Amino acid sequence: MLEVIKPGLETSVQDWPGRIGFWNQGFPPSGPMDSWSFRLANVLVGNAPGAAGLECQFLGPTLKFQRNGVVAVTGADMQAALDGEPLPMWQSVAVEAGQTLAMAFARTGARTYIAVAGGIETEPWLGARATFHKAGVGGMNGRAIKEGQSVPVAEAAGQPGRRVKAESRPDFAKAKRWTVEVVAGPNDDWIDAAGHERFLSADWKLSAKSDRTGFRLDGPQWSFTDKATDKAPEHGSLPSNIIDQGYPLGAINLAGQTPIILVNDGPSMGGFINPYTVPQAAFWKLGQSRPGEIYNFKAVSVDEAQAMARRLRELCTEASIETA
Amino acid sequence: MIYETPAFRPGGDRYMLIEFGNEMNLELNFMAQGLATAIAEQKTKGVIETAPCFASMLIHYEPDEISYADLSRELERLIAALGPSDDIELESRVFYFPTVYLDPWTRECVQDYIAKIAPKQTDPEFVAELNGLSDVQQFVRVHSGTEYWVASLGFWPGLPFMMALDPRCKLTAPKYNPPRTWTPKGTVGMGGASTAIYPEHLPGGYQIFGRIPVPIWDPEKRFGVFSDSICLFRPGDRVKFVPCTVEEFEEAERRVADGSYVYNVVEYQKFSVRQYKRWVGSLDLARRF
Repeated sequence: MLEVIKPGLETSVQDWPGRIGFWNQGFPPSGPMDSWSFRLANVLVGNAPGAAGLECQFLGPTLKFQRNGVVAVTGADMQAALDGEPLPMWQSVAVEAGQTLAMAFARTGARTYIAVAGGIETEPWLGARATFHKAGVGGMNGRAIKEGQSVPVAEAAGQPGRRVKAESRPDFAKAKRWTVEVVAGPNDDWIDAAGHERFLSADWKLSAKSDRTGFRLDGPQWSFTDKATDKAPEHGSLPSNIIDQGYPLGAINLAGQTPIILVNDGPSMGGFINPYTVPQAAFWKLGQSRPGEIYNFKAVSVDEAQAMARRLRELCTEASIETA
Repeated sequence: MIYETPAFRPGGDRYMLIEFGNEMNLELNFMAQGLATAIAEQKTKGVIETAPCFASMLIHYEPDEISYADLSRELERLIAALGPSDDIELESRVFYFPTVYLDPWTRECVQDYIAKIAPKQTDPEFVAELNGLSDVQQFVRVHSGTEYWVASLGFWPGLPFMMALDPRCKLTAPKYNPPRTWTPKGTVGMGGASTAIYPEHLPGGYQIFGRIPVPIWDPEKRFGVFSDSICLFRPGDRVKFVPCTVEEFEEAERRVADGSYVYNVVEYQKFSVRQYKRWVGSLDLARRF
């Protein structure tokens, strides 16, 4: 059990890949936004890569361990400390009952992950422990953790004294500008050549009006092909309106002129076009970027995007672990 | 139009969108639902889940089990084997909902939008005028004069995207620009040729003109209709809006609150596409309700 002394800004239980199989009822997968850091935290303590852990956003929590165990902290640097002593990141550490893990604001990146040996053992909801805040389901009563709660953890011995190799960690220490891979489609044929050119060459600023459902981007205007301007009225009146359709997770959804990247808690369907889609293996960059930072998009093929996912999965295994 | 061959389009590394056409036409949704059923029955390798919509279907697949090219070929084969939609018969429940049309709550919501976001004509008047109806009373007769076909669920858990089954009741309306920041729970609205019910207090873009007092999703499963799923509807269900007064709405609301509300559901019918088309062919489409 973990006792919540301070909850942090928004700390929630997540598992990976989350709540899969309910897209056709409108349930998003949820789960960690940076699944690279998340999975490695689990591997460090000896859990399955997708076991439930905590995602901390911008400001981390203060937690008291109620029994002995093993913990690992990965992702953004929130100056984690165990009973006041700096806790090494990207490492599995033995903790004793009564010790307190305290975290502050993220110095770099945006999201920190905490894995505990055994994994968090809240009641699964529709087969997953991932928290879907907007609907109030999954995790701890469907919400971010709150002061005074006890977060249940399964019993397990755990593996202290392990570390993620430096070359196996995501690199976001200096990022103010991110190169984010995108695959053209499904609705790329609605954008004209100038529009594609502009999208791939412009600086896109991450808006503060972003959350786990969507990342809003500020940038140049879009321009369209005839498909967008000469269409049956049931599509809707805006060029970016289309007959309601299914949305891929990661879709760059064009609401009017504002692109919104649909992320882990995003909508499954709606009436706007998706000219590009961010592949799964690039999500960690979204998860670790802060409002005001800049995205530059780089087009990759479906095959390249799938190869990225395979490489990332290989990184999230024992092969990336060394003795500390 | 309905495409001669469906278009396959990638959505990143794990999704594919299949477009059957570019209009709102029940035939396209029958194809999407037929393909989703075929994929489920054949347990197509590598397919994690499908989400059929009006004119398209999204597929979530595992690229380690099937490549994009192989999935396209497999789907082409399944689509070719679907046969004419006339042969489709689907389990189809009918849900009856007491509905206050031209209600005070959506009216207040529209006024709030006009005051704070953008000027516009009030929604029922706007949709009536746009569709050549004589007044909002006729709009209510036309909108409530048909059963609605649940084409798909999405946007929010349990939110139904529906189409009028009676072609004499087909209406169209543009979506809000910019969208609303809030919509009352239970609101009935339409955009394009689609009608929807908002399961919760949510942002939205449809023209709004009515409200039901009955939950259509229930994470706590307080009512028996939610025993299988916390979402009330399945694709292929039908919905009938039954105009009621504010007093009747409030009585139903009280019954929902104390748990004594009885959902009005008919469960003994199948939907036959052939018989449906025969009936549509017999109608005089020039006459409206």
